[in-house]
Amino acid sequence: MIGLEIHVQMSEAGSKLFCDCKANYRGMKPNTNVCPVCLGLPGALPVVNKRSIELALLAAVAFKCNIPKYIVFTRKHYFYPDLPKNYQISMYEKAGGIPICRGGYVKYLDVNSWEWRECRIRRINIEEDPGRTVYEEGGIVRSPYALVDYNRSGVPLLEVITEPDINSPREARTLVEYILLTLEYLGITNPRLEGVFRVDANISIEGGERVEVKNIGSTMDIEKALNYEIMRQAMIINSGSKVERETRHWDAEKGVTRPLRHKEYEEEYLYFPDPDLPPILISEDMVTKAKEIVLGFDIAILYENILKLGVPRDIAWSIVTIKPSLDVYIKTVKLGADPLVAAKILGIDYKGELKERNMDLYEYNNWPPPETVYELVRLVVDKIYTYDTVKGLLIPKIAENPKVDVRSILPEKAENIEDIIDSVIREEEKAVKDYLSGKKQALNYLIGMVIRRVGKRAVDPRVIREALENKLSKLKSSM
Amino acid sequence: MRKAKQSWELVEDFMNGIEDPVEHIYKVLDSINRWESMVNAYISLESPDILVEKAEEISRRIRRGERVGRLVGLIVSVKDNICTSFLPTTAASKILDPYIPPYDATVVERLLREDAIIVGKTNLDEFAMGSTTELSSFGPTRNPWDLDRVPGGSSGGSAASLSYGGADLSLGSDTGGSARLPAAYTATVGLKPTYGLVSRYGLIPYGNSLEQISPMARSVKDVALLLDIIGGFDPLDATSLNVDSLNTFNSIKADARDLKICILKEMVEGADSPIDSMFWKIIEKLESEGANIEYYSLPILSKALPTYYTIAFAEAASNLARYAGIFYPTKGSSSSWEEYIGESRFKGFGREVKRRIMLGVYALSEGYRDEYYVAATKVRRVIRDEIVKLTSKCIIASQVSPILPPRLGERIGDPLKLYYMDMYTVVANLAGVPALAQPIGFHEDLPIGIQWIGGPLEESKLISIGLLIEDITGLGGVIVD
Repeated sequence: MIGLEIHVQMSEAGSKLFCDCKANYRGMKPNTNVCPVCLGLPGALPVVNKRSIELALLAAVAFKCNIPKYIVFTRKHYFYPDLPKNYQISMYEKAGGIPICRGGYVKYLDVNSWEWRECRIRRINIEEDPGRTVYEEGGIVRSPYALVDYNRSGVPLLEVITEPDINSPREARTLVEYILLTLEYLGITNPRLEGVFRVDANISIEGGERVEVKNIGSTMDIEKALNYEIMRQAMIINSGSKVERETRHWDAEKGVTRPLRHKEYEEEYLYFPDPDLPPILISEDMVTKAKEIVLGFDIAILYENILKLGVPRDIAWSIVTIKPSLDVYIKTVKLGADPLVAAKILGIDYKGELKERNMDLYEYNNWPPPETVYELVRLVVDKIYTYDTVKGLLIPKIAENPKVDVRSILPEKAENIEDIIDSVIREEEKAVKDYLSGKKQALNYLIGMVIRRVGKRAVDPRVIREALENKLSKLKSSM
Repeated sequence: MRKAKQSWELVEDFMNGIEDPVEHIYKVLDSINRWESMVNAYISLESPDILVEKAEEISRRIRRGERVGRLVGLIVSVKDNICTSFLPTTAASKILDPYIPPYDATVVERLLREDAIIVGKTNLDEFAMGSTTELSSFGPTRNPWDLDRVPGGSSGGSAASLSYGGADLSLGSDTGGSARLPAAYTATVGLKPTYGLVSRYGLIPYGNSLEQISPMARSVKDVALLLDIIGGFDPLDATSLNVDSLNTFNSIKADARDLKICILKEMVEGADSPIDSMFWKIIEKLESEGANIEYYSLPILSKALPTYYTIAFAEAASNLARYAGIFYPTKGSSSSWEEYIGESRFKGFGREVKRRIMLGVYALSEGYRDEYYVAATKVRRVIRDEIVKLTSKCIIASQVSPILPPRLGERIGDPLKLYYMDMYTVVANLAGVPALAQPIGFHEDLPIGIQWIGGPLEESKLISIGLLIEDITGLGGVIVD
C-alpha cells in the first residue's frame, strides 16, 4: 500500500504566500528575495496573498474536495535552520485549523493499461515553503558548515495528501504526473522548474510497518525510490526480521533510501490556529468561479474530446500532456482541419522534431500557429504532398522557425519525377545491373542521380527510394 | 506635584510662537538628566545632538510657515518592543541585545509623518511578560512617585518617562493590562484600543490575539490625540480592522446625566481598601450628578485570569520560537544544532520568559491541548460575548489594579501574586474591547486609577467620560516634581 504527500510550489502565484517577494526565485542571488515577513523578523506580520488562495481553491475543486466555508491557517512548530520563525504557517484538520480541502479524489489515466483509476485525497493544505539549506562538500553528514538561502522561504505550497490507494510504484508515478499536469493546466504551477515539487511516500508491504520515504524530487525517482523500498522491505521480511516504523531519506544520487529517524511516536508540532491570520472566507461566488475555470481545463474531458474525433489514445494523450500542443490542436481542428492528420503532426512528428532539436516542448513560441498546421493538413488531405513529404521537408523547417509562412517553404513539385526515374534507369545501366545482381548500395547511387536531376525542386528521398525500388523490382520480374 | 502643559496645547503654542520646540527639547532633556539615573525608564536614548537638531529643523519649518504634522515638536517615547530602524529594539531581552530592526513599525512611521520627535525606547518586562517592569534584562524601572516602588508593567518605562517629564507622549503596549496598570501606578493615562484598531505591524509579539499598541500620556485629551494618529487600517496587519482612524480628539466632555455605568461584582471585589474607597467615592459623585449606575454579576469572569494566561502563554511559546541564535545577537557555541539553540535560548531568555514558554508548550501539547488551550479559547468566546453584550448597554467601571504599587521585589518572587495584579485588566483584552485607565487620586502619595471599558470602537465614549473625570479630579497633566 502506498500513500503520497505531494508538495507542489504554486510557482505561478506571483508573490510569496504572505508577502510581496517573488514566488519564483530561480536565478536570483541567495537571500535577495527576502523581506521582514518571510525572514520572520520580530513584529513582521503575514498577510495572505489572495492569488494563492484562488489557485489552491482551483486544485480543491479539480480534485472534487469538500470545500469549507472558511479556511484557518495553523502554526506547525519545529526547530530547523531554514525555518526562520521555527514554525511553519500551514494547515491542520484538528486543533482549530481548517484546510482548503478535505476528502476529495483524483481520477487519473493509467497510461500503462489505458484505464482510469481513482485515488482518494485525504486533505490539501496551503503552506509556506521553508528556506533552503545548502551543505558544502560532504553533504549533510560531513560538511563542516551549512549555508541557508531564504529566497524560497514563504513560497506558497500545496500539500496534497492521498489515502493509501496506490498499488504500485509505477501507479504512484503516473498519479503524480497526472496531478502535476492538472495543476499546470490550472495555471498553478510549472512542474518543470527546478525543485518545484517534492514527494514523501508512505509505503507498507504485507507483514511490515509503515515506512515514510522523504525527499523525492522527480517523478522518475518516485518509481525508483518505491521499487527500492519494496525490495528492501521484502528482503527484511523474508529474512524473518521486522520492518519497523521509520522515516527514510531518498538519496537520488546513490539510488537508495537511508534511515533518517525512527518514528516510534507522533512528532509534537504544537499545532494551533495562527492568531495573526483571521479565518479566510471561501464564498459561494469564489467556488462558482473556480468551478468554471476547472471545467475548462479538465484533462479527462479534453482527452476524451480528442478520442471522440477518432484519434488513437496514445496520440491523444501525447497531445494532452503538452499544453501548447493541445492549444494549437484544438484551434487547428476548429479551423476545419482533419483531426487525425493534425493529431499525427502535432502529437508525433512535430513533437519529435522539437525533441530532436532539444527544444522546449512547453514553450508556446516553439509551436506553429494553428493556421500553419491547418495548411500542412490541407496539403496532405488534398494530396498535394504526401504525409512523408510534409514530415520530412516541411516540419523541420517550421520547427526551425515556427512563424514561417508555409507558402514560402513549399518544395517545388517535381511533376515529372516518374520520367526522371525512368531516364535514370535507362542511362545508368551499370548501376541498375549491379543492383539487380544484389549490390544493394547501388540504390543509393541511383537515388542520388535522381535527386541531382530533380535539382532544387526538393523531393523527399524516401519517396524516390520507394519509386525506384518499385520500378526496379518490376524490371527484375520482367527479366 | 505640578501640572505640565498638555501636549495638544503645546502644539498650539508652538504654532503660535508662544513656545519654541528647541527650548522644549532642552527642558525634556533636563528632566531626563535629572531623573533617568534613578528611574531607568529608558533602554536606549537618541543622542541629544540629534534631538536638538530635529527640534531646530521643526522650529525653522514652523517659522517659515511650512506645513507641519499634528504632533509637531512633541517628544515621544516608544516602548522597546516596538520596532525602530534608527534605535535598537530589544524587548528588554538579552536575546535581542543589540538588535536593530531593518524596518519601522507602522505606528512609528505614523508618528514620524506627523513630525513627532522620538526620544528613546522605554524599559519593559522582558517581551512584555510582567506587571512591574522589574523583569527587564536592563534592570528594573522605578516609580517616580516613590522610587522604592515599581511603576507597574509591562509598559513601566513608558509610564515613568511620562510622569517625570521625560516625554510628552508615549507608546506602550497592552496584552493583559500592560499599559493600564502602569498608568494607574504613575497617575498617567493609558488606553488599550479595540483589537484591530491600531496596527501591530512592528510590535514584537507576546500574545498576538490579545495585544494592542496603546497610547499613553499625562491627560485624556493627549491620549486621544495620539490614538487618532496611530489608529486606522493598515494593510500590513491582517487583523487590522478596515476602519479609518477614529476622531476621538474632538470628543467632548460627557454629561453625567447621560452616563450609563455598569459595575461588575467580579471586577471590584478584592481590592485593597484605599483603592476601593476612592473608586466608590468617584462612583457616588457621578451618581449624585445624575449618572445611572447598574450592578451586575458575571460569574464567568472568575475564569478570566487563567483563560488569559493560558492563551497568552501558548501564543508566547510559539512567538518566541524564532529566537534561536541565527538571526539574533545571542548565540550558542556548540557544534550540535540542538545544543546550539538550547544554549542561545538558555543564555538569552530570563526566568519568567522561560517559565511562560514552558507553560505555553504544555498548553499546546498533544493530549493537553484540548484541556488547556482549546478550553481557554472557548471560555474566552463566552467572556467576549458577555462583555460585548453588556457594553452595548453601558460603560463598565472598575478598578485597574487590586493593589497599590508594590515595592521592588515584593511581587516577582511569586508568579501567582504577580499574575493576580492583572485580574481587572485582562477582561478587555479577552473581549477585544477598548479600555481606558486614568488617575482618580492619591493615597499617601501613591497614585490610584480607575478603568472604563466600552464596546468595540467606542473609544470616543471612553475619552468623553475620561474628560469628565479629569474635570472632577483636576489631575490632567500631573507630573512629579
